[in-house]
Amino acid sequence: MSRPDPLPGSGSDRPPAGRPAAPWAARPGLVVPILVLLAAAAAGLQYARGRAYEARPVAQTVLYVPSGAALQRVALSFDSALADLYWMRAVQHYGRTRRAAAAGRYELLQPLLEIVTTLDPRFDVAYRLGAILLAEAHPHGPGRPDQAVALLEKGLRARPGRWQYLHDIGFVHYWWLQDYETAAHWFERASEAPGAPWWLRSLAADTLVRGGDRRGSRALWRQVYGTADNPWLRAEAERRLLQLDALDEIDAYTAAVDRFARRTGRPPSAWAELLPDGQVGPLDPAGHPYTLQRGAGVVSVAPESPLFPLPAGPGATAP
Amino acid sequence: MRVITQLAWHAFRDAARGRVLYVLVPFAVLLIGAAWLSGQLTAGQEVKIVKDLGLTAAALCGLFTAVVLGVGLLAGEVERRSVYTLLAKPVRRHEVVLGKYAGLVLALVVNVGVLAIVLYGVLAFVAATESAEARRGWETPAVDPALLKACFLILVQLMVVAAAALFFATFSSPALAAAMTLGLYVAGHFNADLQTLEEIVGPGLTASLATGLSFVLPNLAPFNVTAEVVHAQPVPPGYVALTTATGLVYAALFLGGAMLVFSRRDLT
Amino acid sequence: MAAVRLLALTKDFDIGFWRRRPVAALQGVTLDVAPGEVLGYLGPNGAGKTTTMKLLVQLLFPTSGSVEVLGRPAGDVAVRRRVGFLPEAPAFGDNLSAEELLIHYGRLFGFAAPDARRRAARLLDRVGLDAERRRPLRRCSRGMRQRVGVAQALLNDPEVVLLDEPLAGLDALGRRAVRSLLLSLREEGRTVLLSSHILSDAEALCSRIAILARGRLAAAGRLADLGLEVRGWELVVAGVTPAQVAAIEPAPERVTRADDGRCVIALPRSRPPEPILAELIRGGARILALAPQHETLEEFFVRTVAGREAEREAAG
Repeated sequence: MSRPDPLPGSGSDRPPAGRPAAPWAARPGLVVPILVLLAAAAAGLQYARGRAYEARPVAQTVLYVPSGAALQRVALSFDSALADLYWMRAVQHYGRTRRAAAAGRYELLQPLLEIVTTLDPRFDVAYRLGAILLAEAHPHGPGRPDQAVALLEKGLRARPGRWQYLHDIGFVHYWWLQDYETAAHWFERASEAPGAPWWLRSLAADTLVRGGDRRGSRALWRQVYGTADNPWLRAEAERRLLQLDALDEIDAYTAAVDRFARRTGRPPSAWAELLPDGQVGPLDPAGHPYTLQRGAGVVSVAPESPLFPLPAGPGATAP
Repeated sequence: MRVITQLAWHAFRDAARGRVLYVLVPFAVLLIGAAWLSGQLTAGQEVKIVKDLGLTAAALCGLFTAVVLGVGLLAGEVERRSVYTLLAKPVRRHEVVLGKYAGLVLALVVNVGVLAIVLYGVLAFVAATESAEARRGWETPAVDPALLKACFLILVQLMVVAAAALFFATFSSPALAAAMTLGLYVAGHFNADLQTLEEIVGPGLTASLATGLSFVLPNLAPFNVTAEVVHAQPVPPGYVALTTATGLVYAALFLGGAMLVFSRRDLT
Repeated sequence: MAAVRLLALTKDFDIGFWRRRPVAALQGVTLDVAPGEVLGYLGPNGAGKTTTMKLLVQLLFPTSGSVEVLGRPAGDVAVRRRVGFLPEAPAFGDNLSAEELLIHYGRLFGFAAPDARRRAARLLDRVGLDAERRRPLRRCSRGMRQRVGVAQALLNDPEVVLLDEPLAGLDALGRRAVRSLLLSLREEGRTVLLSSHILSDAEALCSRIAILARGRLAAAGRLADLGLEVRGWELVVAGVTPAQVAAIEPAPERVTRADDGRCVIALPRSRPPEPILAELIRGGARILALAPQHETLEEFFVRTVAGREAEREAAG
């Protein structure tokens, strides 16, 4: 580098001059729009990346540490917060899989719940809601009542004699496994647990007597609806109750179809034949028209109804 | 440009003199220790574990460097008032911001680069000591060039974090700026959750707010491709390019903000 | 053309966290510093001296009014090449040595590396830090940092030198070194604006003085014209016996004896020093110094500004 030129009118020992004065930052009128433009570009690029590479397997990273016990060591004193985090991931995984166009297999649900309950063994909702999600039949869930029962039993080991878990195990046996004897046994145990509500005793008795009929099921779901402490479970119980109503209504319409068939010798081909002014079918309890299968005369809820599919399990049989 | 280069070189030298870069050493030792330990404990997983740990170490160590230096280079100088003599020199304030940032990026390059070299060294050692049979069981080769993609994206992520640290440091105390930068880092990793919040809570104000926020906040999770690289899943060049572009634009945004704020600030 | 021109310069600071209200640090200060002049910018602590200095190098932006240095606005980068600035209690990046810092600043001034190195060496020598040039600044004393500060302010051979409390934090030796440096600046014909809260600092160095109080210019002019009161005399003598001192009648206010036989004698304003000097010389003593002791700036301020305010209040 050469020695800098002297400044005009000053000693030759002075530093070089010649840089223009006005700093760009003195003109916010120019800078601010540029920043706004940059912000828009950043958001746009981020959006484009999200669009182009949506299939990036986030799930892979979720179960990066597959063992809750190992995670607990890493989590230091933040295990409770980490449990919350994993619980959010579990619920998200469930919600995302359920909403996906092609129904997934919910394969991360059980391991995530396992991690949550290991990190925080007293995480009540993770056991209770987790069990319900696990037991839920495909496509609404992985259809694993066995895993649901195992999760609740883990909860019982952490908090022995908690009647809610005993009741929930009975519930899984009742609703998903249709093993009313075992269900009644668990309800019985639940009713003997400290702090158990009075209705558990009658529930146990009813289950033994009327296991599997629609009235028994309705009573069970009403209990769930009445005692649910989270909105999702309440909504689910409401849906189940509506399904039971729909089953009642379908029974009535099926009887009408049968009468029509007996009278004309063929099943009705459209609702108009069956109902005076029925261009579309009557509405199910969720507000969607029932479908009438042409030729076969089978009445059912429409696939787009939130009640679809109706349970094939307990309660499907008429009382 | 000459002024910026001089400022950058000076900032880098100052950082190298400080103890910040020495956090590299324990991480490198940890890496080697982990390689040795996992060789004793796990069958066929040591390569994966070393890669996981190595990349995580690079990211964490870089995060620490980016926050400490990003905040210290500007807010620290303002607080110590050493910036007074500097700003009385023929430099413009935005040149100071740019120069400090360039020096910081240089420090981060060295940081990630050193850890990458150590990582490759450890992996080469593991590969050399394992039997050919064990090597066949590995998902990916030990000395896998794909790791460079992960390192590169970590560096880009750190550039965003450093720019954010510099930005926050232009208008707040060092401690507050560090807290805000770490907050942005954490929030940046929850970006995907913000986008999918609607799936959980259903449509509504909360979901709209979350979605809006997810557009503004830099999404930092996509910069982490450790899982893909370790499990031999493809990281397409287009993905790297788009992610890098996003990162650079965010860095430019934060830097622009920093220059704007710093240029107009009273240094009391 | 004035080398430094302050025109109705006003600076408010917003203080308070929730309700920010402006507090005036500087109110309508107008002042010219002529080229080659050494102006003492004096005032008690909190008068606004540092605020003015910061406005001159645009560390602060004025609320209203303007600042010109060498005919250009304060923020002008080209002008900064011709200005040197020493902030109050200067601080520097801790990891560097004085030499590295000066070379770095030299490079920022646009000097080539060898030139920057040469300048750094020359200035460190000039402020008496040659031996400590490699020591990291974090292990330097306050006085050493002050000297580094002076060195960096002179690095570019500035036409205008702005010095905020250049003598603060220095020991006696350091004060003498910096004082002589400042005198040489005056001889070299540089324009110097020197702030201090100690009047005697300015007495020896400055051709003109401006006194700032509560953000306003209270007085400006030659020291002799300002009407500062002399409170007494300080006499430094060598080779006096205690008997001689005791013979001074009536007794001096204060007598301080140093180990080397020197003696500092404080005389009240009411005693003309000449007869005492004659008496001491006759007794074989050597006179080392005789200096008038002015009232402090605080006293001056209380006497003039506060007095005027009280008058105004009484009148209104």
